[in-house]
Amino acid sequence: MAYEEPITDYDKIVENCTCAFCGCNCDDLDFLVKDGHVVGVRHACRLGASKVMEDMDQRLMVPMVRDETGELVEVDWETALDKAAELIAGAVRPIFYGWSETSIETMKHGIRLGELVGAVLDNQATICHGPSLQAVQNVGYPVMTLGEVKNRADMCVYTGSNPMNSHPRHLARYSTFPRGYFRQRGRFDRTVVTMDPKYSDTAKMSDIWVGFEQNGDYEFYNAIRAVLKGKELKKDVISGIPKEDIYELTEAMKNTQFGALFFGLGLTHTLSKQRNIDIAIQMVADLNKYTKWVLMPMRGHFNVNGFNIFMAYEMGFPYGVDFARGYPRYMNGETNTIDLLTRKECDVFMVIAADPGAHYPGGAVKHLAEIPVIQIDIHWGPSTEIADVVLPGSFIGVECGGTSYRMDGVPIFMKKAIDKPETCRDDEWIVNELLQRVTKIKAEKEAIASK
Amino acid sequence: MTYVEKPAVPKVVKLEEPTATERKILNMMLNTGSDIYQGACKKRGSTLKDEYRKVAGIAYMDPKDMAKLGVANWESVKVTTDWGEVVVYAAHSRDAPHEGTIFIPKGPWANVITSHETYCCCDPTYKGIYCTVEKSDEEVLLMADLMRAVYKKYVEDEETIPGLDSLGEMPVYKKL
Amino acid sequence: MEYILKNGIVYDPTNKVEGEKKDVMFKDGKIVSQVSSDAKVLDVTDKIVMPAGVDPHAHVAGPKLVVGRLYRPEDSRKGVTSKTAVTRSETGFSIPSCPATGYRYSRMGYGTVVEAAMPPLEAKHTHEEIMAIPNIDIPPLPLFGNNWFVLQYAKENQIDELAAFISSWLKIVKGYGIKIVNPCGSEAWGWGMNVHGLDDPAPYWDVTSREVLKALSKANEMLGLPHSIHVHPNDLGHPGNFPTTVGTMDCVKGIEKGSGVRNQTIHITHAQFHSYGGTSWRDAESGADAVADYINSNDHVTCDVGQITLDETTTMTADAPMEFDLHQLNGLKWANKDIELETAAGIVPFIYSGKAPVSSLQWAIGLELFLKIENPWQVCLTTDHPNAGPFIRYPRIISWLMSSERRQEMMDNKEVHPWSHRRTSLATLDREYDFNDIAIISRAAPAKIYGFEDRGQLSVGTNADIAVYDLNPNDIDPSKNPAAIEKAFGNAMYTIKDGQILVKDGEVVQVKPSHTIWTNVQGFEEQEKKVMEEVMPTFTKYYTVKFENYKVHDHYAPYPIEVNVQAGK
Repeated sequence: MAYEEPITDYDKIVENCTCAFCGCNCDDLDFLVKDGHVVGVRHACRLGASKVMEDMDQRLMVPMVRDETGELVEVDWETALDKAAELIAGAVRPIFYGWSETSIETMKHGIRLGELVGAVLDNQATICHGPSLQAVQNVGYPVMTLGEVKNRADMCVYTGSNPMNSHPRHLARYSTFPRGYFRQRGRFDRTVVTMDPKYSDTAKMSDIWVGFEQNGDYEFYNAIRAVLKGKELKKDVISGIPKEDIYELTEAMKNTQFGALFFGLGLTHTLSKQRNIDIAIQMVADLNKYTKWVLMPMRGHFNVNGFNIFMAYEMGFPYGVDFARGYPRYMNGETNTIDLLTRKECDVFMVIAADPGAHYPGGAVKHLAEIPVIQIDIHWGPSTEIADVVLPGSFIGVECGGTSYRMDGVPIFMKKAIDKPETCRDDEWIVNELLQRVTKIKAEKEAIASK
Repeated sequence: MTYVEKPAVPKVVKLEEPTATERKILNMMLNTGSDIYQGACKKRGSTLKDEYRKVAGIAYMDPKDMAKLGVANWESVKVTTDWGEVVVYAAHSRDAPHEGTIFIPKGPWANVITSHETYCCCDPTYKGIYCTVEKSDEEVLLMADLMRAVYKKYVEDEETIPGLDSLGEMPVYKKL
Repeated sequence: MEYILKNGIVYDPTNKVEGEKKDVMFKDGKIVSQVSSDAKVLDVTDKIVMPAGVDPHAHVAGPKLVVGRLYRPEDSRKGVTSKTAVTRSETGFSIPSCPATGYRYSRMGYGTVVEAAMPPLEAKHTHEEIMAIPNIDIPPLPLFGNNWFVLQYAKENQIDELAAFISSWLKIVKGYGIKIVNPCGSEAWGWGMNVHGLDDPAPYWDVTSREVLKALSKANEMLGLPHSIHVHPNDLGHPGNFPTTVGTMDCVKGIEKGSGVRNQTIHITHAQFHSYGGTSWRDAESGADAVADYINSNDHVTCDVGQITLDETTTMTADAPMEFDLHQLNGLKWANKDIELETAAGIVPFIYSGKAPVSSLQWAIGLELFLKIENPWQVCLTTDHPNAGPFIRYPRIISWLMSSERRQEMMDNKEVHPWSHRRTSLATLDREYDFNDIAIISRAAPAKIYGFEDRGQLSVGTNADIAVYDLNPNDIDPSKNPAAIEKAFGNAMYTIKDGQILVKDGEVVQVKPSHTIWTNVQGFEEQEKKVMEEVMPTFTKYYTVKFENYKVHDHYAPYPIEVNVQAGK
């Protein structure tokens, strides 16, 4: 990249803002503000900076509704909200998906709306760390806050995760480079291990790279567990790794003072899905008999953990919660969005702060192409190409305050630094408006029915 | 430990290299996932533009595999799986060597061909999918055109799609 | 709105009313001595009227609750109810969802529940859950016993600085008092270790539990906080741990009390788990004698029991090393959460069965403590929810306390294993609690222990938090009718909170938001400023959040009850 001059033309700096991209929720960002716009950002990584310095060409500024010719037409807020409320109130099996890039305060209204109409509330965990949560439900959850890793860890293992691409400041601020209380030499006091079939960017800067075979995660961890329990490995090469290396690695893991395992979508998306994480968790639990080990799923969005936490304390289940029968149900395979779409059960789909058009497999998006879709978002994206009602929201963490939960469960209140564009509205306001209007429509219907 | 040794920096393999046997179509394994350039464009909100096509409509391949197919850096390839086919750019992977595997960053191009099978574990299978890769002379579509061509939500007559004008790189809507 | 509860049989131990037939009047949310003729009359003739329940120790709101709910959907699927016109759906048995927690406490006639452990870094989470729990008021207790700053101050014996630190932190996280869990042990767990007993130093910090307890107690009294230090002693659950418990109670003996609203300088929580004798689970026996004797001869101690209810439940506590040991013991799924610079927590499901010898022994030890501690003002009714059992079992425990026959029947019928009487003296104890005693241990004593001056009693000017139970104390013999006692205490005839009728005949009829109760220490501003300057460099270097984003903003406690105390006398 060419050299760019530092930005000197700004009115004020808003300090300690929180980044609204990945699950690191770095809360030390400084926004350089001029004339009510963010003209620069400090301490953010490439991903965070790109989101804050957004591309205004595609910023959703006005509510839109799809007309008969299939083109989006700008309308006023009343029309758009009424149309969306009408769709939701008339739905038999609505799904409200997304939530991971908006605030807890918005979710509070969302769950009320979901309870009212009997919707399925789901979030990105259903295509991301859902299997991690299922594995947690099977075998347990030995986790920590990131500061424990910063202060104590002398071995950090990244498996199925490429933080240099998905969580760039993870190593810089939380796990490897910072000088911790008990690790004053920072990087030099720690060993970084990457376990990944490809020689990813993270592998390039770690001390040890274990390149096991594609889909070989389960076998590999199984071997480590067997060695931990004192068994002898029978095969010479397991998942492409020679058995002597497995013995050596296990010894190294046993001889640390504090080890941390971070895992990502490499484990959840391959064929063994939750079983991969199942065995990784059990491996960490086994290691705890010898020394101290913890693990953490690398959550990808700044509030995906927040939604799971919110749904758990409100209704006892983390995601994929179905209110259709008047009480919450959670059943993997039945109440998850992808399955509901591929079985063509859903008849109205509302997406808020997410992008299924981009990130759902084609088989699911094909059904979205057959039903009405309501989108609440800040940018025009692949989902807008298939949306029938578009409601422009506001940018949490920059234009609007809100609570979010970091990947390790630490709650952070993200500040408001500038005002939102006049034609946009806060996500909280939008969902609340939908709730009010749907309540009204339902009350009218009941009044008519009872006559 | 034997696996500490880092692999040699991948050499750019020339198309005419005698060791490379040319093939018309390769059977490979497909991985999709996050990539930093893709993430930056996606969240910045420049998904309609050419830059997003360049970071998400791309298959990172081992240079040796590209040589086998006779594909140069940034030429188009067609990737086909049991669930669909899509045309993307082919580029040298900075994570090579990984012969037999290609990586398409997550996004609308990758998801035309990923598996929606969840096996009751809620997650679709985004990684570890068998695919075939062959050289193509078609253009890689921009995002809006891709969504229209694959999902056809607002198109009356499917036959007309190839003849339609591109939707371009800016939002298309009727203003008040 | 004016109301008069007519002709009830009132038990108000704080005012020495023990089963008198009298009217209780309230207006605009407070108890009054007279009302006009417009007052609405609620006829509670010959029914028991008590202040609304005060639960001194339960885990109802916070990060470890969410981990429990998330990783035990099998528990969430029990106790599911459909939404009604007034209430939302409930889920959960041992770890109810937030709305369910509020409704279920309300149905039992409770009005105040103390959230026993709040990790300061995740305090906003606790406050969010408090906002989601309706119908009860919740004061949270922040955890201090393994906090790095506290360990440092305790080691250097800098009590003034420690007091300023505590008073600042209570303001920052909106907490009510000082909670100490396994002091030094959860910090040792940061390295996978634990401490044993009061004099085992924490690794690196080299400070012992005894020093930490004394320092925090002195700081607590210097500030004049309404509650004393609230202690979960070391060695929880280990056979032979009663000497540690007695030692814990004893180590703060000489410290002068700094507050006039309570009697004690130390509160030992879930004492049942800390009253074991023997050397291993093979020869384990009751250690309740020593603990009860000490409490009986010392006024500066109070406790709550943590009674086993013989259910499948989920244990969750900030005593993380103990939870790992429990996981090794029963093999069930283990969750853990270490919190930087502050504390750690662990969660493991547990099945307490009447068929199991150890569970039965624990059950008997809890009852022994209730029956051996002579002064009911020094003992409170809890199950350390959800550790020893879910809180919906309080009525059942009440029925056991009131009926010696029932206890004997359980031991004779083999509803509990013979260890319950062979290894304890429970079979020899035939004391029965009466309604006045029950009112003390479930309302008046917890309120006094926490220094609540506006609840736990029916005095003029206090909150109109009242519970009415469908029992005629003159007609019923509790020792012969444990089932009726359990049913009545589990389904209040009326639960009134702040003058509003929330429950009628066991059904929730109204939902209102909860209040967060926290302590605001006045008069220490200079010292607080100085301590914050000292603490800042370490905070900035070793936490992973910025200080500005650490505090609990006011909007997380939209209905606060601020208890102001003047530091010093």
